[in-house]
Amino acid sequence: MAEDNREPPAGAGTLREALRALLPHRKEELVPELGEKVERSVVQLLWEAAELFCGGRRSECLQASEAILDYSWEKLNTGPWQDVHKDWRRVYAFGCLLKAVCLFEEPGDSAAVAAALKACDMGLLMGAAIHGDILIKVAAVLQAHLPSAKRPGPGLAEEQPSMKKARDDCVSVPDVASERLVPRLRCPSLQHFRKQFLVPGRPVILEGVADQWPCMTKWSLEYIQDIAGCRTVPVEVGSRYTDEDWSQTLMTVDEFISRYVRSESKDVGYLAQHQLFDQIPELKRDISIPDYCCLGDGEEEEITINAWFGPQGTVSPLHQDPQQNFLVQVIGRKYIRLYSPQESEALYPHETHLLHNTSQRIGRQ
Amino acid sequence: MAEERRGSWFGFGFCGFGQALGSGRGRQVHSPEPLRTPGAGADVRRVSASWSYTAVVTRGGQVQLSGAADGAAGGCRDAWASEALLVVLRAGRGLGPGPELQAWAPGSALRGEPLWTHTLVPEAEGADGAGGEAQAGALPLLPGARAYVSPRPPFYRPLAPELRARRLELGAEHALLLDEAGQVFSWGQGRHGQLGHGTLEAEPEPRLLEALQGLPMAEVAAGGWHSVCVSETGDIYIWGWNESGQLALPTRSLSEDGKTVAREGEASGLNEGGPEVRRTAGGEEGAPAPFIALQPFPALLDLPGGADAVKASCGSRHTAVVTRTGELYTWGWVRLTPAEETIAGSPEAPRPPRPGPVPSPESRVVNFVLVLVTPKELWKGMPEASAAGKVRAEPLGAEPGGGRF
Repeated sequence: MAEDNREPPAGAGTLREALRALLPHRKEELVPELGEKVERSVVQLLWEAAELFCGGRRSECLQASEAILDYSWEKLNTGPWQDVHKDWRRVYAFGCLLKAVCLFEEPGDSAAVAAALKACDMGLLMGAAIHGDILIKVAAVLQAHLPSAKRPGPGLAEEQPSMKKARDDCVSVPDVASERLVPRLRCPSLQHFRKQFLVPGRPVILEGVADQWPCMTKWSLEYIQDIAGCRTVPVEVGSRYTDEDWSQTLMTVDEFISRYVRSESKDVGYLAQHQLFDQIPELKRDISIPDYCCLGDGEEEEITINAWFGPQGTVSPLHQDPQQNFLVQVIGRKYIRLYSPQESEALYPHETHLLHNTSQRIGRQ
Repeated sequence: MAEERRGSWFGFGFCGFGQALGSGRGRQVHSPEPLRTPGAGADVRRVSASWSYTAVVTRGGQVQLSGAADGAAGGCRDAWASEALLVVLRAGRGLGPGPELQAWAPGSALRGEPLWTHTLVPEAEGADGAGGEAQAGALPLLPGARAYVSPRPPFYRPLAPELRARRLELGAEHALLLDEAGQVFSWGQGRHGQLGHGTLEAEPEPRLLEALQGLPMAEVAAGGWHSVCVSETGDIYIWGWNESGQLALPTRSLSEDGKTVAREGEASGLNEGGPEVRRTAGGEEGAPAPFIALQPFPALLDLPGGADAVKASCGSRHTAVVTRTGELYTWGWVRLTPAEETIAGSPEAPRPPRPGPVPSPESRVVNFVLVLVTPKELWKGMPEASAAGKVRAEPLGAEPGGGRF
């Protein structure tokens, strides 16, 4: 595209300025507050990196940030995730921040911008928020400077319908009529919902609640690629997470869609249970939180929003969620089978600690 | 461990804190460089390296720190460096006649008071019958093999006496023990298969590695999340996490940077081919290669030409092995950023040639390798060493005159 050739020199300069403006200027403000868990040697390295950054020594700062990332990454992988101290995640986020803003050597180097965006995403996925969610702001600035020619054009969309039709033919739809259906209600009152379903613990499908959410009209594969195509997300590969050859990997949304959604892949890829809307606030604007959530025990801040995005054929094995939740189906359809907690003894949870809330029974969900 | 090896120390890898790796410049040392040690190189009894600093113990009983921690102290028989704690074994001090174990904050420069101390019961006989001296250099295993020291509380951890430990190694969240009969035990977290019992479950107490029963082992080594042992006949067994190819098995990197080496076939750029692996080979171009994320029970690893291993050592995510013929192999994690400049310091004048046993690596730390080289001539590594593949060492040639290391 012609703009690419004209833009770079000025573009890179404004990008650097825009990023610089987001960060604190003094190194004392740049290094996050950390407790005792973080070893003295690491803190020393953080200060050194901050000083290099404030002194404009970009490539040395980049090296220091890589060392910070290497060490903190190992801490993030020591012990169960929920036990990882938040300070290590802050250190990791700090490393990602410095790396992201130091990756520009050549003006207009879109590979460097993409790498910087990936660094932001790693910080968002594995790190903890520092400096008021600065990584989100840096990601937004970087994304704005990525040439849109990088993303697949609209031409591909035409191929879709025929491909999708071919796959539709070979899927088997369960005969739901013969089983007890989950009742459907149209916008019940909060009190009715609480009394009839929340308190007694009975499932229900609520219709009409999400009709006006922007996602219902706006979302499509093209739209999602437009908003988030270059963002790195975790993808689960393999039929179900109880299988031995199941694994998790990272890829951009573009890669995920082209490899696992648009095309026939022998592996199933599933973007599952990911707090996508925390990572990409632009998508969060398209959804709302149902009023019924205020009936829950906790505070509003404790509400987590996860996304599930994938082709047909994804399976979440029978499991138990630790929290009450609502599932909103925006595009496509899902077959869900629910068992009452009273049936727990018949459901054979896995022995191992990691799969403790997952059943060994082969149920499709 | 009764025979102490004499020779010269070299190091390569991450050097971001100016640890004593020779040049002290730049963040990475890509080819082996002589270690700056106090006094002459032959004086070094043990080198223990952590991520940000190194502790060197001399035969004269001095422990010297370099890197993010500095300082020195005397009366020291053994030292063990970790980021959280520096553990020092000092002879004959403290309240009783036995050696005293001290744990220091690395930043203390060994001044003031240690964080805690523990006086050990004097052992009349070590495993070699040579007294407590023979056990020196075995930290974190303590003399007498009744206990070991941990960088996390409780620091002093007893071992059941029936274990008859000869050697003990600590990973990030597991422990390996080699006993007098050459049997291997493991315990701790097992999430990455590092315990080798075939599951991902944790083991609270030392559990025998049944897969290796009947195969007497000579050496064990623990990385961050992987384990290695070398049998008396020179075979290498390896298990645990392979996310960076630290098991020399095909890998698909999950970490965002740091390209990994030891991919099947490519095996870190070796011309002669990398370590052979008893697994199916990687896939063709374009097809996703089958990869091993973790190996929960021991796998036999063959070196090129069927070479016998004599010593293995691990960093957090890399492995180093020395063969009977004096070759060093390394594989696993490496950060492939461009070197700042070729660190081409002229080698120190070599010491007069002397016969001695083969090289033995000590590479406990995050990402660098220290090598004790004791061949007839001194060796220099080629630039492609870079902590991956085979270090193609070439003799510098014997030169007259004494040298300092």
